Amino acid sequence: MKGAEVIQKLNEYLTGEELIVSSNGNVSRQAYNFLPQPQVYLRGSMGLPVSIGLGLAISQPKKKVIVITGDGNFLMGLSSVTTVGFAKQNNLRILIIDNESYATTGCQETVSSALNYGEMVKGMGIESVMSIDLTKEKEMTSDLLDQFVNKEELQVLHIRVEIDDINLENIPWHPIEIKENFQNR
Amino acid sequence: MIDTEQFLSFLSEQGFSLATGVPCSYFKDTFVSLEKSKEINYIPATREDEAVGIICGYFLGGKNGFLILQNSGLATIGDALTSLAQLYKIPLLMFVSYRGLEPDADFPEHLVMGDVTEDVLEAYQIPYWILCEENWKNTMEQALKVMKDSSLPVCVLVKMGVLSQ
Repeated sequence: MKGAEVIQKLNEYLTGEELIVSSNGNVSRQAYNFLPQPQVYLRGSMGLPVSIGLGLAISQPKKKVIVITGDGNFLMGLSSVTTVGFAKQNNLRILIIDNESYATTGCQETVSSALNYGEMVKGMGIESVMSIDLTKEKEMTSDLLDQFVNKEELQVLHIRVEIDDINLENIPWHPIEIKENFQNR
Repeated sequence: MIDTEQFLSFLSEQGFSLATGVPCSYFKDTFVSLEKSKEINYIPATREDEAVGIICGYFLGGKNGFLILQNSGLATIGDALTSLAQLYKIPLLMFVSYRGLEPDADFPEHLVMGDVTEDVLEAYQIPYWILCEENWKNTMEQALKVMKDSSLPVCVLVKMGVLSQ
């Protein structure tokens, strides 16, 4: 399974009420194209989607906040995950789409393959962690995304995927428009 | 020195309900007051750029927070400022300790950044004020007005002895 297919599959489990922060590059383009709008689409600030999601989750405790991030982006902001483990914000979820590459910039390798995400994230104080490899399994079990979206606890879902073969256009909204559309939703 | 409890009460009255950042000894007493504060929640951050992300996310959810950092952190937050807070036009109040001046003569690690702190802020196009015990409310009101009118980050530089003994 590819990253874009995971994001399309996630859409089936959303109510439209969730607040979604997506990391810069392919991931935010896919979130823009395949998930309910408007959301927080990051254009820059690599390494910060988890911390932006944490701030949003603290600000809006009654809403579910989902951070969708590629592996390169997640790893750049790795220490912010420890702050999430410290803050224990139950309405926050982090979905890591791991293709072991900086896919937006030409599929250069990341260091992701060295890591055991389940153990690493648990060691950072986040108890609810699932890690699956969809380069080996063809399908996700049906309750995985359901639980990720709906269970009332801080969660991290790490999904190892194949590199996408689609190329999406840049998000047409200027970042100021992204912010305003999100504020007015 | 400014009474830090009064200072935080002022910020709370101005609508700030979250603080995050990385400590500096110039803010030691401020942190003691922050821990006591019921109006302002504090989250320790691991890095200053992460703290910018937290405050920006908090703002996108409709609430206001502020940052506390040492000027060394100005070197860390460049991308968070330019490609997040400034790009999306997110108002951001930063308290930055002004290390590397005369009292830090024995701390060479602060001297280069102390020399370039105001240049760095100018290069980032961030308006800044130097906080003093006298007229601190006026300074803060000016900084907050610019922050709100421009919907952009502003910086308040804090020298030794102003927000901690």
